[in-house]
Amino acid sequence: MKKIPIIIFLFTLLATIAIISSCQSTSPLAEAKSGAQLWGENCLRCHNAPSPESFSDAEWDVAVMHMRVRANLTEPEAVKIADFLKTAN
Amino acid sequence: MKNKYFILFLTLMFTFSIQKANAQEVQSTDEIQKLKQEIEQLKNESDTYKPGKSKFLLRGYAHSGLQITDEEFSFVGGSFNPLFIYKQSDRLLFESEWELELAGGEVKLAVEYANMSYLLSKNLTFRAGKILVPFGIYVPNLHPAWINKFPTGPLGAGHDGIIPSNDIGLELRGGSYLGNLKINYSIYAVNGSQLNDGEEEAEEAGILHHAIFPDNNKGKTIGGRLGFFPFSDSSLEFGISGMYGKVGAKETDMKDVAALHYALDISYVKTLSSMSSVLDMKGQYSGVNVDDANYPFHENPDDLITFDNNSSTWFAQISLRPALVENNFVRRLEFAGRYSTLKTPEGSEWETDQTQVDLGINYWIDWRTLFKVSYRISNSKEDGTTEEPDGHGGAPGNAFFVHWAIGF
Repeated sequence: MKKIPIIIFLFTLLATIAIISSCQSTSPLAEAKSGAQLWGENCLRCHNAPSPESFSDAEWDVAVMHMRVRANLTEPEAVKIADFLKTAN
Repeated sequence: MKNKYFILFLTLMFTFSIQKANAQEVQSTDEIQKLKQEIEQLKNESDTYKPGKSKFLLRGYAHSGLQITDEEFSFVGGSFNPLFIYKQSDRLLFESEWELELAGGEVKLAVEYANMSYLLSKNLTFRAGKILVPFGIYVPNLHPAWINKFPTGPLGAGHDGIIPSNDIGLELRGGSYLGNLKINYSIYAVNGSQLNDGEEEAEEAGILHHAIFPDNNKGKTIGGRLGFFPFSDSSLEFGISGMYGKVGAKETDMKDVAALHYALDISYVKTLSSMSSVLDMKGQYSGVNVDDANYPFHENPDDLITFDNNSSTWFAQISLRPALVENNFVRRLEFAGRYSTLKTPEGSEWETDQTQVDLGINYWIDWRTLFKVSYRISNSKEDGTTEEPDGHGGAPGNAFFVHWAIGF
């Protein structure tokens, strides 16, 4: 258990760096991705990619916000995915 | 004379035409007016259904099936998990998942989570309430029945497992980019697990119980998870999780006993064009170290025993779904396999060393509805039996399952 403070310190440090760096919500590579591409990549990480026809535009607003929090999506990613789902449904 | 009659005829025709044209014009004007009224009426009706900024969505999942073991051949009730999602504004979200489970002839109701999220920035969210603890990937991401590739969870997971599932507290979470490297992160403070001191149930001395309220001490458990995506297509994710806090009850001999939970997880999901399939691989190693303590011996509570209170569990699973083949039946199939282990402290009353292999074939009706057929082989090393004490996320014996699950 003597290792605990070191582990906690390292973890806290990494977490702090991550949060401080959170001002960057996108990258050149991410910016080049379409909503359809982000939809496929991010949904498939846990489950099948949902059919855009599953929900109405208003329902997608709520579902995408739910998944933005759940899957730790950035705002630009969530906006692109929502736009794609609304256009394709 | 003939000319006069002809001119009279033309005059009459002209007059008749003008009258008819006037009548048509009046009719057209009436029709336009009528159309305007209809459009206005439709507009008013559509305004009635126009969504405001506050929106509500009911989602969830349900599952049940058939379970065959050496001792049992039974349809099992499974559970129904409604998920209530309320978007108050573009920044504020409330969500809650309940679980109604049919067990032992009764309906058990549990709140899996109920929390409020406030989007602080483009990549940081604050959450408060009962949350799924962001520890590893199984509980936060894979436990819903329509996502889990198998009818049951891996060893060590679940409500009674050594992996913490949900708790009450505060959390900061989000996703971001370090250059082109995508990361996600979560830090939180929750009540934390509670140590069973064995005073009432000596055979459970040393076990950690999760999601019990209120807290048994004033110390809060601090934890977090960091995830990294080394590839630009987000197909590979590595995660590291940890949580630390006091677990002993205040004003007892165990008030200073603390526990460290830690986990490493990996996920790889890739569409393989060469195999016309989607490959999905996941794995997680989790451990918990509890400070040394003296517990009552179950045969004579006046005697005290101690043991290294360390437990560990891990699972690895793989699935292949030929989703890109042309045959409609084949592309709905999914082949899955999972290996999981659970090891609890030697010398404890709840000592176990189990392994479990699950092999299954799933048939997807649509993207969120499936039938699962699987066979589970369990093994317990210490006594050669397949029985496992209740309370640690294990499940007894070999078993055959036919389950269905729907997400909605």
